[in-house]
Amino acid sequence: MLVKDRMTRHPILISPTTLATEAQNIMAENNIRHLPVAGDGKRLLGLITRQQLAMKPDDLGSLNVWEISRYLGRLTAAKIMLRAEQVITISPDRTIERAARILTDNKIGCLPVVEDDQVVIGILTETDMLQAFQEMLGLPSEGVRVTMRMPNRKGEFNKLTTVIAQKGWGIMGIGSFPSPRRPDSYDMVLKIPHVGVEEVQAALAQVPDQEIIDIRTVA
Amino acid sequence: MTVERKAPPVLKLDDVAVAYKVRGGEIEAVQNVSFDIHRGESHGIVGESGCGKSTVSWAILNFLGANGYVKRGRILFQGQDLVSKKGEELRKLRGDQIAMVYQDPMQALNPSMRLGDQLKEALTVHRGLGAKEAERRCIDMLERVYMPDAANVMRRYPHQISGGQQQRVVIAMALLNNPALLIMDEPTTALDVTVEAAVLDLIADLRRDFDTAIMYITHNLGVVARVCTKIGVMYAGEMVERGTIAAVYERPQHPYTQGLLRCVPKLGADKASSLLYPIRGRVPPPNSRPAGCVFGPRCDYRRERCIQERPALRTLANGVQVRCHFAEEIDPAAWQPSEEIELPTVKKREEERAPILEVKNLTKYYPVSGSSLKDVLGLGEKRQVRAVENVSFAVPKGATLGIVGESGCGKSTLIKTIIGLENSTAGKAEFLGFDITGDITTRDAKLIQELQMVFQNPDSTMNPSYTIGQQIARPMLRFGVASKAQVRQEVVKLLQAMRLGENYYDRLPRQLSGGEKQRVGIARALASRPDLVLCDEPVSALDVSVQAAILNLLLQVQSDLDTTLIFIAHDLSVVRFFSDSVAVMYLGQIMEIGPADAIYAPPYHPYTEALLSAVPIPDPKAQQKQIRLEGSVPSALNPPSGCRFHTRCPRRPFAPEGGQVCETTAPPWQEVATGHRILCHIPPETLRSFDPVIAP
Repeated sequence: MLVKDRMTRHPILISPTTLATEAQNIMAENNIRHLPVAGDGKRLLGLITRQQLAMKPDDLGSLNVWEISRYLGRLTAAKIMLRAEQVITISPDRTIERAARILTDNKIGCLPVVEDDQVVIGILTETDMLQAFQEMLGLPSEGVRVTMRMPNRKGEFNKLTTVIAQKGWGIMGIGSFPSPRRPDSYDMVLKIPHVGVEEVQAALAQVPDQEIIDIRTVA
Repeated sequence: MTVERKAPPVLKLDDVAVAYKVRGGEIEAVQNVSFDIHRGESHGIVGESGCGKSTVSWAILNFLGANGYVKRGRILFQGQDLVSKKGEELRKLRGDQIAMVYQDPMQALNPSMRLGDQLKEALTVHRGLGAKEAERRCIDMLERVYMPDAANVMRRYPHQISGGQQQRVVIAMALLNNPALLIMDEPTTALDVTVEAAVLDLIADLRRDFDTAIMYITHNLGVVARVCTKIGVMYAGEMVERGTIAAVYERPQHPYTQGLLRCVPKLGADKASSLLYPIRGRVPPPNSRPAGCVFGPRCDYRRERCIQERPALRTLANGVQVRCHFAEEIDPAAWQPSEEIELPTVKKREEERAPILEVKNLTKYYPVSGSSLKDVLGLGEKRQVRAVENVSFAVPKGATLGIVGESGCGKSTLIKTIIGLENSTAGKAEFLGFDITGDITTRDAKLIQELQMVFQNPDSTMNPSYTIGQQIARPMLRFGVASKAQVRQEVVKLLQAMRLGENYYDRLPRQLSGGEKQRVGIARALASRPDLVLCDEPVSALDVSVQAAILNLLLQVQSDLDTTLIFIAHDLSVVRFFSDSVAVMYLGQIMEIGPADAIYAPPYHPYTEALLSAVPIPDPKAQQKQIRLEGSVPSALNPPSGCRFHTRCPRRPFAPEGGQVCETTAPPWQEVATGHRILCHIPPETLRSFDPVIAP
């Protein structure tokens, strides 16, 4: 799963001469929080987020109501945007976990996806990552969600899948996480469709050295 | 399964009206059109010509010309209003985010530049890529659109590749900058069915892979059913029905949509068992639209309210939007043709009749002169275009022979040779027992009178400065069918038979619509009361409702006058509907010939099978096998050895010796049923075992 598979293609772009008021409008109407500013050939010039649009009261405090409208009438995207050299971008061929890492390391909400010297081809936001996470674990389809705790050694996962394969079940979502505060084990979350909780419970309880720590039907 | 995220539409039209300023006011060509297209969605827009489909697409990019403007409404692209955008901003959008593909690829390509240079320009100008990198990207994209030998194509000029390939280059060029919106205006109308099928497959793939929103304008309901997810039906500048493909085709709600679907022959239908129902009347011009419902005058369900009140576009229970007061009450299944539509009465003939035209091994070669010194001195090898080779068939009196095949297969040359516009090179052709292979100047006037022709494009066959009456009268006088005194009366009679009034007598061709011109073309062909009429694509350029009317007219004429017809068309459903027997031509040879119903069911020639699988069917539920031919028809200058189809035949491995024989030996005629012959090496039992192309 790479950035190009999860990003939103053809993001809404604005030009640097667009007024800040219109940018605000576009964001509100389309229910988006990030607006890349692009020039000729969709080349990234900057980025506008809600933060750029948050006016500091000090800036406006000194202006009277007439001056405010004149001020806003001249305030273009170019003046308020985060400039391209400050914007962190990503290339479409990187992995999504790397993208997630960049988001968390920098505490930012979006990454414009660029290729060929800053040509914007998509945008990857926190929402896309959370969406990917849901799909990875098999939401929104119905099934039994089971968490198995297993020791961190070779062959454990194979034991688990062998049991599932013998039963003729399928796996529609899977994720593994290091167990909290137990450095030597892993928690494996599986989603199995078209079965009952009891069946799964009975079958997986027999897997040696492993433990069901949570099991439920989710829809 | 992916979760649908509620994303804003890429394109949203909100109550748009487009007007043109003309002398004495302005004309609203398009009114109250609203629709939206989301990412990865392809939205079909259908309707007859003059309904404002293209005007909408031009309005999106402000290509309306000096006198056109968007009068009301908003056109939002990615949330930004395009109507207020000025030159520079629009130019940027057109290059970077919105791309267009039009009907004629030659108009979009520069004939004096190599294709590679034109393609690379899009990348070097808009993206500032280096020449090498741009070249690599272009080749990748050409391969993406299934262009054979992409690297080589980059060095060619537009005229050196076929029409289908040109259109693929245009699509590749449109996609190079990864547009968010792709507007396609009849992109496959000018292409052969086989090429069309490949281009449509390509569009469906691209929509999925590039997440591009596609607006697809066409008049072909079958094409929409194949590539689109939603459909909007336009009539007289308004959107009259809009919904998902499945819902609209399953249960069309607006009488106009129902009418359009009744105009097209279903593949497999024939004239004996089914009828085509043209929609009466025609699209009103924008300045004289009726009050109330615009479709009212042509609607079979009109009531008082339809005249008084203009219906609004409203959403029905199944999510389909429709502009009709009584949509819920109309049941298309209970529809009866109104008395105003004239339907032909087709008598099914059982008895075998003597052939009126017999062709045996007819061959037409065109000599090609080379340019080398040897050729000039006449010492070089003589080269010939083998346009028609060894064609044999017979047409009984009063019957219709349909001829199908891709362009460049010699269909037109064949009938031109029969009518005498070309001399034949070898073979026999007898019409009513007279030899017609000689030069036309040696033909008896009586013979010329008995053989007439209807052309595809009535515009280019009529003298623009002669009145309709004069044009039809000329053959009458020339052949002495009517005396000078009676001629006017005779012409009027003929016009009336064509459902044109006497008032057409003094009109000029430019005052007629396309359908009317074609009626005049048919009237002129019939003026000398011929026994055999050769029709070269007579309905291809016409709207579906006009096409249905013309086909009905030809059927009526045929049954009244007992005329024999040879009918060329590229639309296989039309040929099936119209013909008694069908000949499938490929590279100058007939590959399969037989009764129409036999041709459309197994056993068929592999080429026929491929043609059938390419026909777009106006039914989204139809199960159609996907057989796509590679490349285009080889040159007739140097046709492949053995079986001419072997280079593209998908069924070759089934032939004896694993297909080796196809390359070396010319295939034999195999009679699979009475009068049904197939030119192929594959044994008839194997051919018979193939599944039908369209699942019953």
